[in-house]
Amino acid sequence: MAFFLPGDKKLGVATGRRRYDLPLNKSAGTGFLVLLIALMTFLGVMALAGSFALGSMAHHWSSGLENKLTIEIPADDATGTIRTREDIEKLSESVTERLSAQNFIRDIHALSQTEIQELIAPWLGEDAENIPDMPLPGLIAVEFITINDHLIEKMRADLANIAPNIVIDRHESWLADILRLTGALQFATLLTTLMIGATTIIAIAGAVKSRIAIHRKDVELLHLMGASDRYISRQFQRHALILALQGAAAGAAAGLLGLLAISLFAGDTAAALLPEFQLNMIHIFTLAALPAAACFIAAATAKFTVLRELALMP
Amino acid sequence: MIKFEHVGMRYGVGPEVLSDINFILEPGSFHFLTGPSGAGKTSLMNLMFLGRKPTRGLISMFDQNINDLERAKLARIRRRIGVVFQEFRLLPHLSAFDNVALPLRILGRPEREIRNNVNELLEWVGLGDYMKSLPLTLSGGQQQRVAIARAVIGRPKLLLADEPTGNLDDEIGLRLMNLFDQLNRMGTTIVIATHSQHLMDKFEHPRMVLGDGTLKINAPKNWIQKKIKGVF
Ligand SMILES: Nc1ncnc2c1ncn2[C@@H]1O[C@H](COP(=O)(O)OP(=O)(O)O)[C@@H](O)[C@H]1O
Ligand SMILES: [Mg+2]
Repeated sequence: MAFFLPGDKKLGVATGRRRYDLPLNKSAGTGFLVLLIALMTFLGVMALAGSFALGSMAHHWSSGLENKLTIEIPADDATGTIRTREDIEKLSESVTERLSAQNFIRDIHALSQTEIQELIAPWLGEDAENIPDMPLPGLIAVEFITINDHLIEKMRADLANIAPNIVIDRHESWLADILRLTGALQFATLLTTLMIGATTIIAIAGAVKSRIAIHRKDVELLHLMGASDRYISRQFQRHALILALQGAAAGAAAGLLGLLAISLFAGDTAAALLPEFQLNMIHIFTLAALPAAACFIAAATAKFTVLRELALMP
Repeated sequence: MIKFEHVGMRYGVGPEVLSDINFILEPGSFHFLTGPSGAGKTSLMNLMFLGRKPTRGLISMFDQNINDLERAKLARIRRRIGVVFQEFRLLPHLSAFDNVALPLRILGRPEREIRNNVNELLEWVGLGDYMKSLPLTLSGGQQQRVAIARAVIGRPKLLLADEPTGNLDDEIGLRLMNLFDQLNRMGTTIVIATHSQHLMDKFEHPRMVLGDGTLKINAPKNWIQKKIKGVF
Protein backbone atom coordinates (compact mmCIF):
# COMPACT_ATOMS: atom_id res chain seq x y z
CA MET A 1 0.00 0.00 0.00
CA ALA A 2 1.25 3.46 -0.87
CA PHE A 3 1.07 4.57 2.75
CA PHE A 4 3.82 2.21 3.76
CA LEU A 5 6.51 3.19 1.27
CA PRO A 6 9.83 2.77 3.05
CA GLY A 7 10.88 6.32 2.19
CA ASP A 8 7.65 7.63 3.54
CA LYS A 9 8.66 8.00 7.13
CA LYS A 10 12.13 9.32 6.43
CA LEU A 11 12.51 12.81 7.74
CA GLY A 12 13.11 15.50 5.24
CA VAL A 13 13.03 13.15 2.30
CA ALA A 14 10.45 14.26 -0.15
CA THR A 15 8.69 11.80 -2.40
CA GLY A 16 6.02 13.90 -3.95
CA ARG A 17 3.92 15.23 -1.10
CA ARG A 18 4.85 12.51 1.36
CA ARG A 19 7.29 13.93 3.83
CA TYR A 20 7.75 14.74 7.44
CA ASP A 21 9.56 17.85 8.61
CA LEU A 22 8.70 16.88 12.16
CA PRO A 23 9.82 13.63 13.80
CA LEU A 24 6.23 12.57 14.52
CA ASN A 25 6.85 8.90 13.87
CA LYS A 26 9.43 8.89 16.64
CA SER A 27 7.09 10.42 19.21
CA ALA A 28 6.48 8.57 22.42
CA GLY A 29 3.05 6.99 22.69
CA THR A 30 2.79 6.03 19.02
CA GLY A 31 2.46 2.34 19.93
CA PHE A 32 -0.17 3.16 22.49
CA LEU A 33 -2.23 5.04 19.93
CA VAL A 34 -2.06 2.14 17.46
CA LEU A 35 -3.14 -0.23 20.22
CA LEU A 36 -5.99 2.06 21.22
CA ILE A 37 -7.31 2.33 17.67
CA ALA A 38 -6.98 -1.45 17.26
CA LEU A 39 -8.99 -2.02 20.45
CA MET A 40 -11.63 0.50 19.45
CA THR A 41 -12.01 -1.07 16.01
CA PHE A 42 -12.25 -4.52 17.60
CA LEU A 43 -14.96 -3.37 19.99
CA GLY A 44 -16.76 -1.59 17.16
CA VAL A 45 -16.78 -4.76 15.02
CA MET A 46 -18.13 -6.76 17.96
CA ALA A 47 -20.84 -4.23 18.82
CA LEU A 48 -21.94 -3.91 15.20
CA ALA A 49 -22.04 -7.68 14.69
CA GLY A 50 -24.10 -7.99 17.89
CA SER A 51 -26.49 -5.38 16.59
CA PHE A 52 -26.85 -7.23 13.28
CA ALA A 53 -27.50 -10.51 15.10
CA LEU A 54 -30.23 -8.90 17.21
CA GLY A 55 -31.77 -7.36 14.14
CA SER A 56 -31.93 -10.61 12.24
CA MET A 57 -33.22 -12.42 15.34
CA ALA A 58 -36.10 -9.98 15.71
CA HIS A 59 -36.83 -10.18 12.00
CA HIS A 60 -36.85 -13.97 12.10
CA TRP A 61 -39.22 -14.18 15.05
CA SER A 62 -41.64 -11.62 13.82
CA SER A 63 -41.79 -12.98 10.28
CA GLY A 64 -42.34 -16.50 11.62
CA LEU A 65 -45.34 -15.45 13.63
CA GLU A 66 -46.90 -12.65 11.75
CA ASN A 67 -49.55 -14.62 9.86
CA LYS A 68 -50.28 -17.07 12.66
CA LEU A 69 -52.58 -17.15 15.62
CA THR A 70 -53.87 -19.65 18.12
CA ILE A 71 -57.48 -20.32 19.01
CA GLU A 72 -58.07 -21.54 22.55
CA ILE A 73 -61.17 -23.37 23.72
CA PRO A 74 -61.05 -22.87 27.49
CA ALA A 75 -61.32 -25.93 29.70
CA ASP A 76 -64.42 -24.49 31.34
CA ASP A 77 -67.49 -23.01 29.69
CA ALA A 78 -68.98 -19.57 30.19
CA THR A 79 -70.80 -20.69 33.35
CA GLY A 80 -67.65 -22.14 34.91
CA THR A 81 -68.51 -25.83 34.45
CA ILE A 82 -65.58 -27.98 33.39
CA ARG A 83 -65.94 -29.26 29.84
CA THR A 84 -65.36 -32.95 29.21
CA ARG A 85 -62.63 -34.00 26.77
CA GLU A 86 -65.29 -35.14 24.34
CA ASP A 87 -66.92 -31.69 24.51
CA ILE A 88 -63.67 -29.99 23.76
CA GLU A 89 -62.83 -32.37 20.90
CA LYS A 90 -66.30 -31.76 19.41
CA LEU A 91 -65.91 -28.01 19.68
CA SER A 92 -62.43 -28.22 18.10
CA GLU A 93 -63.81 -30.20 15.22
CA SER A 94 -66.57 -27.73 14.50
CA VAL A 95 -64.15 -24.80 14.68
CA THR A 96 -61.77 -26.58 12.29
CA GLU A 97 -64.59 -27.41 9.93
CA ARG A 98 -65.98 -23.88 9.95
CA LEU A 99 -62.58 -22.29 9.30
CA SER A 100 -61.32 -24.80 6.71
CA ALA A 101 -64.12 -23.64 4.47
CA GLN A 102 -62.75 -20.04 4.48
CA ASN A 103 -60.53 -19.04 1.58
CA PHE A 104 -58.31 -16.72 3.66
CA ILE A 105 -56.96 -19.62 5.73
CA ARG A 106 -53.80 -21.34 4.54
CA ASP A 107 -53.49 -23.99 7.20
CA ILE A 108 -55.38 -25.12 10.28
CA HIS A 109 -54.39 -27.76 12.76
CA ALA A 110 -56.05 -28.79 16.01
CA LEU A 111 -53.53 -29.95 18.60
CA SER A 112 -54.22 -33.40 20.02
CA GLN A 113 -54.45 -33.95 23.79
CA THR A 114 -50.99 -35.58 23.73
CA GLU A 115 -49.49 -32.58 21.95
CA ILE A 116 -51.01 -30.25 24.52
CA GLN A 117 -49.75 -32.39 27.37
CA GLU A 118 -46.26 -32.20 25.86
CA LEU A 119 -46.54 -28.43 25.73
CA ILE A 120 -47.43 -28.11 29.40
CA ALA A 121 -45.09 -30.86 30.57
CA PRO A 122 -42.29 -28.39 31.35
CA TRP A 123 -44.62 -26.67 33.88
CA LEU A 124 -46.37 -29.66 35.39
CA GLY A 125 -43.69 -32.32 35.00
CA GLU A 126 -43.98 -35.66 33.24
CA ASP A 127 -46.61 -36.66 35.79
CA ALA A 128 -49.17 -34.63 33.90
CA GLU A 129 -49.84 -37.75 31.80
CA ASN A 130 -50.86 -39.54 34.98
CA ILE A 131 -53.69 -37.15 35.69
CA PRO A 132 -56.08 -38.31 33.00
CA ASP A 133 -58.89 -36.16 34.26
CA MET A 134 -56.94 -32.93 34.40
CA PRO A 135 -58.93 -30.33 32.47
CA LEU A 136 -56.97 -29.17 29.41
CA PRO A 137 -58.01 -26.48 26.94
CA GLY A 138 -58.32 -27.15 23.26
CA LEU A 139 -55.74 -25.45 21.04
CA ILE A 140 -56.02 -24.86 17.30
CA ALA A 141 -53.11 -23.39 15.33
CA VAL A 142 -54.26 -21.26 12.41
CA GLU A 143 -52.15 -19.79 9.59
CA PHE A 144 -53.65 -17.05 7.43
CA ILE A 145 -52.64 -16.22 3.88
CA THR A 146 -52.45 -12.61 4.97
CA ILE A 147 -53.80 -11.63 8.31
CA ASN A 148 -55.74 -8.44 9.05
CA ASP A 149 -58.00 -7.08 11.79
CA HIS A 150 -61.10 -7.26 9.63
CA LEU A 151 -60.65 -10.99 9.00
CA ILE A 152 -60.03 -11.60 12.69
CA GLU A 153 -63.23 -9.78 13.69
CA LYS A 154 -65.19 -11.78 11.13
CA MET A 155 -63.67 -14.98 12.54
CA ARG A 156 -64.39 -13.92 16.13
CA ALA A 157 -68.07 -13.42 15.26
CA ASP A 158 -68.20 -16.81 13.52
CA LEU A 159 -66.64 -18.60 16.47
CA ALA A 160 -68.94 -16.91 18.98
CA ASN A 161 -71.76 -18.91 17.39
CA ILE A 162 -69.98 -22.15 18.21
CA ALA A 163 -69.12 -21.28 21.82
CA PRO A 164 -69.23 -17.81 23.45
CA ASN A 165 -65.93 -17.90 25.35
CA ILE A 166 -63.48 -18.94 22.62
CA VAL A 167 -60.18 -16.99 22.92
CA ILE A 168 -58.11 -15.76 19.97
CA ASP A 169 -54.42 -15.26 20.80
CA ARG A 170 -52.49 -13.28 18.20
CA HIS A 171 -49.11 -13.59 20.03
CA GLU A 172 -49.12 -9.83 19.81
CA SER A 173 -48.16 -8.93 23.36
CA TRP A 174 -45.41 -11.53 23.52
CA LEU A 175 -44.02 -10.49 20.14
CA ALA A 176 -44.21 -6.81 21.04
CA ASP A 177 -42.21 -7.48 24.22
CA ILE A 178 -39.52 -9.34 22.33
CA LEU A 179 -39.30 -6.69 19.62
CA ARG A 180 -39.12 -3.94 22.22
CA LEU A 181 -36.31 -5.80 23.99
CA THR A 182 -34.28 -6.44 20.83
CA GLY A 183 -34.89 -2.86 19.73
CA ALA A 184 -33.54 -1.56 23.03
CA LEU A 185 -30.52 -3.88 22.80
CA GLN A 186 -29.87 -2.75 19.24
CA PHE A 187 -30.06 0.84 20.34
CA ALA A 188 -27.61 0.08 23.15
CA THR A 189 -25.10 -1.51 20.78
CA LEU A 190 -25.45 1.41 18.40
CA LEU A 191 -24.87 3.80 21.28
CA THR A 192 -21.83 1.74 22.28
CA THR A 193 -20.44 2.03 18.77
CA LEU A 194 -20.96 5.79 18.83
CA MET A 195 -19.28 6.03 22.25
CA ILE A 196 -16.35 4.03 20.89
CA GLY A 197 -16.10 6.48 17.99
CA ALA A 198 -16.26 9.47 20.34
CA THR A 199 -13.61 7.98 22.63
CA THR A 200 -11.34 7.41 19.64
CA ILE A 201 -11.79 11.01 18.53
CA ILE A 202 -10.98 12.33 22.00
CA ALA A 203 -7.92 10.08 22.34
CA ILE A 204 -6.54 11.05 18.94
CA ALA A 205 -7.20 14.74 19.52
CA GLY A 206 -5.35 14.46 22.84
CA ALA A 207 -2.42 12.67 21.23
CA VAL A 208 -2.20 15.22 18.41
CA LYS A 209 -2.35 18.08 20.91
CA SER A 210 0.49 16.63 22.94
CA ARG A 211 2.52 16.14 19.75
CA ILE A 212 1.95 19.75 18.80
CA ALA A 213 2.96 20.79 22.30
CA ILE A 214 6.17 18.76 22.01
CA HIS A 215 6.96 20.21 18.59
CA ARG A 216 5.46 23.65 19.20
CA LYS A 217 8.74 25.49 18.42
CA ASP A 218 9.19 23.57 15.19
CA VAL A 219 5.57 24.03 14.13
CA GLU A 220 5.93 27.73 14.87
CA LEU A 221 9.09 27.89 12.78
CA LEU A 222 7.39 26.23 9.80
CA HIS A 223 4.57 28.73 10.25
CA LEU A 224 7.02 31.66 10.31
CA MET A 225 8.73 30.37 7.17
CA GLY A 226 5.40 30.75 5.40
CA ALA A 227 4.27 27.14 5.42
CA SER A 228 0.53 27.11 4.86
CA ASP A 229 -1.73 25.63 7.51
CA ARG A 230 -2.42 22.81 5.09
CA TYR A 231 1.29 22.06 4.65
CA ILE A 232 1.67 21.65 8.40
CA SER A 233 -1.61 19.87 9.09
CA ARG A 234 -0.91 17.43 6.27
CA GLN A 235 2.04 16.06 8.19
CA PHE A 236 0.00 15.37 11.30
CA GLN A 237 -2.88 14.05 9.22
CA ARG A 238 -0.62 11.66 7.40
CA HIS A 239 0.93 10.51 10.65
CA ALA A 240 -2.48 9.86 12.21
CA LEU A 241 -3.62 8.06 9.06
CA ILE A 242 -0.67 5.67 9.11
CA LEU A 243 -1.24 4.88 12.79
CA ALA A 244 -4.97 4.41 12.23
CA LEU A 245 -4.40 2.13 9.24
CA GLN A 246 -2.17 -0.12 11.30
CA GLY A 247 -4.49 -0.08 14.29
CA ALA A 248 -7.71 -0.49 12.33
CA ALA A 249 -6.32 -3.33 10.23
CA ALA A 250 -5.20 -5.18 13.35
CA GLY A 251 -8.46 -4.44 15.18
CA ALA A 252 -10.67 -5.49 12.28
CA ALA A 253 -8.71 -8.70 11.80
CA ALA A 254 -8.99 -9.47 15.52
CA GLY A 255 -12.70 -8.66 15.42
CA LEU A 256 -13.35 -11.03 12.51
CA LEU A 257 -11.34 -13.75 14.25
CA GLY A 258 -13.40 -13.11 17.37
CA LEU A 259 -16.66 -13.48 15.46
CA LEU A 260 -15.36 -16.65 13.84
CA ALA A 261 -14.38 -18.02 17.25
CA ILE A 262 -17.80 -17.19 18.69
CA SER A 263 -19.61 -18.92 15.85
CA LEU A 264 -17.32 -21.98 16.18
CA PHE A 265 -17.33 -22.41 19.94
CA ALA A 266 -20.84 -21.27 20.65
CA GLY A 267 -22.03 -23.00 17.51
CA ASP A 268 -24.94 -25.01 18.89
CA THR A 269 -26.32 -22.47 21.31
CA ALA A 270 -25.91 -19.71 18.79
CA ALA A 271 -27.66 -21.75 16.12
CA ALA A 272 -30.59 -22.35 18.45
CA LEU A 273 -30.74 -18.73 19.46
CA LEU A 274 -30.10 -17.25 16.03
CA PRO A 275 -31.85 -19.53 13.63
CA GLU A 276 -30.57 -18.96 10.10
CA PHE A 277 -28.50 -15.94 11.09
CA GLN A 278 -26.03 -15.07 8.38
CA LEU A 279 -24.15 -11.92 7.45
CA ASN A 280 -25.57 -10.46 4.30
CA MET A 281 -23.74 -8.14 1.90
CA ILE A 282 -24.92 -4.98 3.67
CA HIS A 283 -23.61 -6.29 7.00
CA ILE A 284 -20.25 -7.17 5.47
CA PHE A 285 -19.94 -3.74 3.85
CA THR A 286 -20.83 -2.01 7.11
CA LEU A 287 -18.27 -4.07 9.04
CA ALA A 288 -15.63 -3.30 6.40
CA ALA A 289 -16.54 0.37 6.56
CA LEU A 290 -15.70 0.43 10.27
CA PRO A 291 -11.87 0.35 9.93
CA ALA A 292 -12.20 2.80 7.05
CA ALA A 293 -14.22 5.05 9.34
CA ALA A 294 -11.55 4.70 12.03
CA CYS A 295 -8.90 5.92 9.54
CA PHE A 296 -11.11 8.76 8.40
CA ILE A 297 -11.86 9.79 11.98
CA ALA A 298 -8.15 9.70 12.84
CA ALA A 299 -7.06 11.78 9.86
CA ALA A 300 -9.88 14.29 10.20
CA THR A 301 -9.39 14.67 13.95
CA ALA A 302 -5.67 15.26 13.48
CA LYS A 303 -6.34 17.80 10.76
CA PHE A 304 -8.88 19.83 12.70
CA THR A 305 -6.88 19.71 15.92
CA VAL A 306 -3.79 21.05 14.16
CA LEU A 307 -5.75 23.72 12.32
CA ARG A 308 -7.27 24.89 15.59
CA GLU A 309 -3.85 25.10 17.24
CA LEU A 310 -2.41 26.91 14.21
CA ALA A 311 -5.22 29.43 14.29
CA LEU A 312 -3.80 30.63 17.62
CA MET A 313 -0.51 31.60 15.94
CA PRO A 314 -0.21 35.14 14.53
CA MET B 1 8.58 47.67 0.77
CA ILE B 2 8.14 48.14 4.52
CA LYS B 3 6.27 50.95 6.21
CA PHE B 4 5.86 51.40 9.99
CA GLU B 5 3.54 54.13 11.27
CA HIS B 6 3.32 54.88 15.00
CA VAL B 7 4.03 51.27 15.80
CA GLY B 8 4.19 50.20 19.44
CA MET B 9 4.65 46.78 20.94
CA ARG B 10 4.73 45.23 24.38
CA TYR B 11 5.07 41.65 25.57
CA GLY B 12 1.92 40.74 27.46
CA VAL B 13 1.27 43.35 30.13
CA GLY B 14 4.93 44.44 30.30
CA PRO B 15 6.22 47.89 29.43
CA GLU B 16 6.29 49.02 25.81
CA VAL B 17 9.49 47.63 24.29
CA LEU B 18 8.89 49.65 21.14
CA SER B 19 6.91 52.87 21.10
CA ASP B 20 6.08 55.08 18.16
CA ILE B 21 8.31 53.53 15.51
CA ASN B 22 8.09 55.25 12.13
CA PHE B 23 10.10 54.38 9.04
CA ILE B 24 9.94 53.41 5.40
CA LEU B 25 12.32 50.98 3.71
CA GLU B 26 12.54 51.26 -0.07
CA PRO B 27 12.80 48.09 -2.17
CA GLY B 28 16.43 47.17 -2.79
CA SER B 29 17.77 49.07 0.23
CA PHE B 30 20.36 47.76 2.68
CA HIS B 31 20.20 48.83 6.34
CA PHE B 32 21.90 48.01 9.56
CA LEU B 33 19.65 47.91 12.61
CA THR B 34 21.61 48.79 15.70
CA GLY B 35 21.26 49.85 19.30
CA PRO B 36 22.40 48.60 22.66
CA SER B 37 21.55 45.12 23.84
CA GLY B 38 17.92 45.03 25.01
CA ALA B 39 16.99 48.05 22.87
CA GLY B 40 14.44 45.97 20.93
CA LYS B 41 16.26 44.96 17.74
CA THR B 42 14.99 41.39 17.89
CA SER B 43 11.49 42.63 18.78
CA LEU B 44 11.44 44.92 15.73
CA MET B 45 12.67 42.03 13.56
CA ASN B 46 9.80 39.95 14.94
CA LEU B 47 7.32 42.54 13.74
CA MET B 48 8.95 42.65 10.32
CA PHE B 49 8.83 38.89 9.72
CA LEU B 50 5.24 38.79 11.03
CA GLY B 51 6.18 36.74 14.05
CA ARG B 52 4.19 39.07 16.28
CA LYS B 53 1.47 41.62 15.87
CA PRO B 54 2.04 45.19 16.97
CA THR B 55 0.01 46.38 19.95
CA ARG B 56 -0.65 49.61 18.11
CA GLY B 57 0.14 51.38 14.86
CA LEU B 58 0.14 50.32 11.22
CA ILE B 59 2.57 48.04 9.46
CA SER B 60 2.49 47.48 5.75
CA MET B 61 4.66 44.95 4.00
CA PHE B 62 4.95 44.66 0.22
CA ASP B 63 2.39 47.46 0.02
CA GLN B 64 -0.22 45.52 1.97
CA ASN B 65 -1.55 46.49 5.37
CA ILE B 66 -0.86 43.38 7.41
CA ASN B 67 -3.46 44.20 10.05
CA ASP B 68 -6.31 43.22 7.78
CA LEU B 69 -4.77 40.41 5.75
CA GLU B 70 -6.16 36.89 5.84
CA ARG B 71 -3.99 33.98 6.97
CA ALA B 72 -3.23 32.63 3.52
CA LYS B 73 -1.96 36.04 2.36
CA LEU B 74 0.18 36.45 5.48
CA ALA B 75 1.74 33.06 4.72
CA ARG B 76 2.43 34.21 1.16
CA ILE B 77 4.21 37.31 2.50
CA ARG B 78 6.23 35.20 4.93
CA ARG B 79 7.41 33.02 2.04
CA ARG B 80 8.97 36.10 0.46
CA ILE B 81 10.96 36.89 3.59
CA GLY B 82 14.19 35.15 4.57
CA VAL B 83 15.05 35.24 8.26
CA VAL B 84 18.29 34.51 10.11
CA PHE B 85 17.19 34.12 13.72
CA GLN B 86 19.48 35.28 16.49
CA GLU B 87 19.33 31.80 18.03
CA PHE B 88 19.34 30.11 14.56
CA ARG B 89 16.24 27.97 15.20
CA LEU B 90 17.35 25.05 13.08
CA LEU B 91 15.15 21.94 13.22
CA PRO B 92 17.24 19.64 15.43
CA HIS B 93 16.14 16.37 13.82
CA LEU B 94 16.82 17.50 10.24
CA SER B 95 20.25 17.35 8.61
CA ALA B 96 21.99 20.54 7.48
CA PHE B 97 20.85 19.71 3.95
CA ASP B 98 17.19 19.28 4.94
CA ASN B 99 17.21 22.40 7.08
CA VAL B 100 18.43 24.47 4.14
CA ALA B 101 16.02 22.68 1.78
CA LEU B 102 13.01 23.51 3.95
CA PRO B 103 12.04 26.89 2.39
CA LEU B 104 12.21 25.40 -1.11
CA ARG B 105 10.03 22.49 -0.04
CA ILE B 106 7.52 24.88 1.48
CA LEU B 107 7.56 26.71 -1.84
CA GLY B 108 6.86 23.37 -3.52
CA ARG B 109 9.94 23.34 -5.75
CA PRO B 110 10.87 20.08 -7.52
CA GLU B 111 13.24 17.86 -5.53
CA ARG B 112 15.84 17.80 -8.30
CA GLU B 113 16.18 21.59 -8.27
CA ILE B 114 16.28 21.55 -4.48
CA ARG B 115 19.17 19.06 -4.45
CA ASN B 116 21.28 21.09 -6.88
CA ASN B 117 20.68 24.47 -5.23
CA VAL B 118 21.16 23.28 -1.67
CA ASN B 119 24.35 21.37 -2.51
CA GLU B 120 25.79 24.39 -4.28
CA LEU B 121 24.97 26.83 -1.50
CA LEU B 122 26.24 24.59 1.29
CA GLU B 123 29.51 24.12 -0.64
CA TRP B 124 29.72 27.86 -1.03
CA VAL B 125 29.38 28.56 2.70
CA GLY B 126 32.03 25.92 3.37
CA LEU B 127 29.77 23.18 4.69
CA GLY B 128 30.13 20.76 1.77
CA ASP B 129 31.34 18.05 4.14
CA TYR B 130 28.54 18.56 6.65
CA MET B 131 25.43 18.14 4.50
CA LYS B 132 24.18 15.14 6.44
CA SER B 133 25.17 16.40 9.89
CA LEU B 134 22.54 17.18 12.48
CA PRO B 135 22.70 20.74 13.86
CA LEU B 136 23.73 19.63 17.33
CA THR B 137 26.90 18.07 15.95
CA LEU B 138 27.91 21.38 14.33
CA SER B 139 29.81 24.26 15.95
CA GLY B 140 28.06 27.57 16.62
CA GLY B 141 29.63 29.16 13.54
CA GLN B 142 28.66 26.22 11.36
CA GLN B 143 25.08 26.34 12.62
CA GLN B 144 24.98 30.05 11.87
CA ARG B 145 26.07 29.41 8.29
CA VAL B 146 23.33 26.77 7.93
CA ALA B 147 20.84 29.33 9.25
CA ILE B 148 22.07 31.94 6.76
CA ALA B 149 21.98 29.46 3.88
CA ARG B 150 18.39 28.59 4.84
CA ALA B 151 17.43 32.26 4.87
CA VAL B 152 18.80 33.01 1.40
CA ILE B 153 18.13 29.76 -0.49
CA GLY B 154 14.67 30.84 -1.64
CA ARG B 155 15.96 34.17 -3.07
CA PRO B 156 13.73 36.17 -0.70
CA LYS B 157 12.57 39.67 -1.58
CA LEU B 158 13.37 40.73 1.99
CA LEU B 159 16.20 39.36 4.12
CA LEU B 160 16.16 39.94 7.87
CA ALA B 161 19.27 38.83 9.74
CA ASP B 162 19.54 39.11 13.51
CA GLU B 163 23.20 39.30 14.58
CA PRO B 164 24.14 37.00 11.71
CA THR B 165 27.90 37.23 12.03
CA GLY B 166 28.16 37.12 15.81
CA ASN B 167 29.68 33.65 15.95
CA LEU B 168 31.81 33.90 12.83
CA ASP B 169 35.47 34.70 12.47
CA ASP B 170 36.33 37.69 10.32
CA GLU B 171 37.08 35.84 7.13
CA ILE B 172 33.86 33.82 6.91
CA GLY B 173 31.91 36.78 8.29
CA LEU B 174 33.16 38.95 5.45
CA ARG B 175 32.36 36.22 2.97
CA LEU B 176 28.76 36.11 4.19
CA MET B 177 28.49 39.90 4.15
CA ASN B 178 29.54 39.68 0.51
CA LEU B 179 26.80 37.10 -0.03
CA PHE B 180 24.29 39.59 1.38
CA ASP B 181 25.72 42.31 -0.87
CA GLN B 182 25.37 40.08 -3.88
CA LEU B 183 21.73 39.32 -3.00
CA ASN B 184 21.16 43.04 -2.47
CA ARG B 185 22.47 43.82 -5.93
CA MET B 186 20.05 41.26 -7.34
CA GLY B 187 17.21 43.20 -5.73
CA THR B 188 16.76 41.80 -2.24
CA THR B 189 15.99 44.34 0.48
CA ILE B 190 18.20 43.68 3.48
CA VAL B 191 18.11 44.55 7.18
CA ILE B 192 20.91 43.31 9.40
CA ALA B 193 20.62 43.73 13.15
CA THR B 194 23.97 44.07 14.83
CA HIS B 195 25.60 45.84 17.71
CA SER B 196 29.07 45.47 16.17
CA GLN B 197 30.52 48.89 15.39
CA HIS B 198 33.40 47.08 13.70
CA LEU B 199 31.05 45.42 11.19
CA MET B 200 29.09 48.59 10.44
CA ASP B 201 32.25 50.60 9.90
CA LYS B 202 33.35 48.24 7.16
CA PHE B 203 30.27 48.96 5.07
CA GLU B 204 28.57 52.14 4.06
CA HIS B 205 24.99 51.22 4.70
CA PRO B 206 22.54 53.53 6.49
CA ARG B 207 21.84 52.68 10.10
CA MET B 208 18.55 52.38 11.90
CA VAL B 209 19.34 53.18 15.51
CA LEU B 210 17.01 51.95 18.25
CA GLY B 211 16.99 53.67 21.61
CA ASP B 212 14.30 54.40 24.21
CA GLY B 213 11.74 52.52 22.14
CA THR B 214 12.08 54.80 19.12
CA LEU B 215 14.05 54.66 15.92
CA LYS B 216 16.25 57.11 14.02
CA ILE B 217 17.82 56.49 10.66
CA ASN B 218 21.40 57.78 10.34
CA ALA B 219 23.19 57.67 7.05
CA PRO B 220 26.99 57.70 7.10
CA LYS B 221 28.51 60.78 5.37
CA ASN B 222 30.06 59.01 2.40
CA TRP B 223 26.81 57.05 1.80
CA ILE B 224 24.96 60.38 1.40
CA GLN B 225 27.70 61.73 -0.85
CA LYS B 226 27.47 58.62 -3.01
CA LYS B 227 23.68 58.94 -3.28
CA ILE B 228 23.99 62.60 -4.20
CA LYS B 229 26.56 61.76 -6.85
CA GLY B 230 24.15 59.12 -8.14
CA VAL B 231 21.40 61.68 -8.44
CA PHE B 232 23.42 64.34 -10.28
N1 LIG C 1 9.50 37.03 24.59
C1 LIG C 1 9.66 38.10 25.40
N2 LIG C 1 8.84 38.25 26.46
C2 LIG C 1 8.96 39.33 27.27
N3 LIG C 1 9.89 40.26 27.13
C3 LIG C 1 10.74 40.16 26.09
C4 LIG C 1 10.68 39.05 25.18
N4 LIG C 1 11.64 39.21 24.25
C5 LIG C 1 12.28 40.36 24.58
N5 LIG C 1 11.76 40.92 25.67
C6 LIG C 1 12.19 42.17 26.30
O1 LIG C 1 12.11 43.17 25.31
C7 LIG C 1 13.22 44.02 25.38
C8 LIG C 1 13.92 44.08 24.04
O2 LIG C 1 14.49 42.82 23.76
P1 LIG C 1 15.11 42.47 22.35
O3 LIG C 1 14.12 42.83 21.32
O4 LIG C 1 15.54 41.05 22.38
O5 LIG C 1 16.35 43.43 22.27
P2 LIG C 1 17.71 43.29 21.43
O6 LIG C 1 17.48 42.27 20.38
O7 LIG C 1 17.97 44.63 20.92
O8 LIG C 1 18.75 42.84 22.40
C9 LIG C 1 14.12 43.49 26.51
O9 LIG C 1 13.88 44.28 27.64
C10 LIG C 1 13.63 42.10 26.72
O10 LIG C 1 13.73 41.75 28.08
MG1 LIG D 1 18.44 40.55 19.91
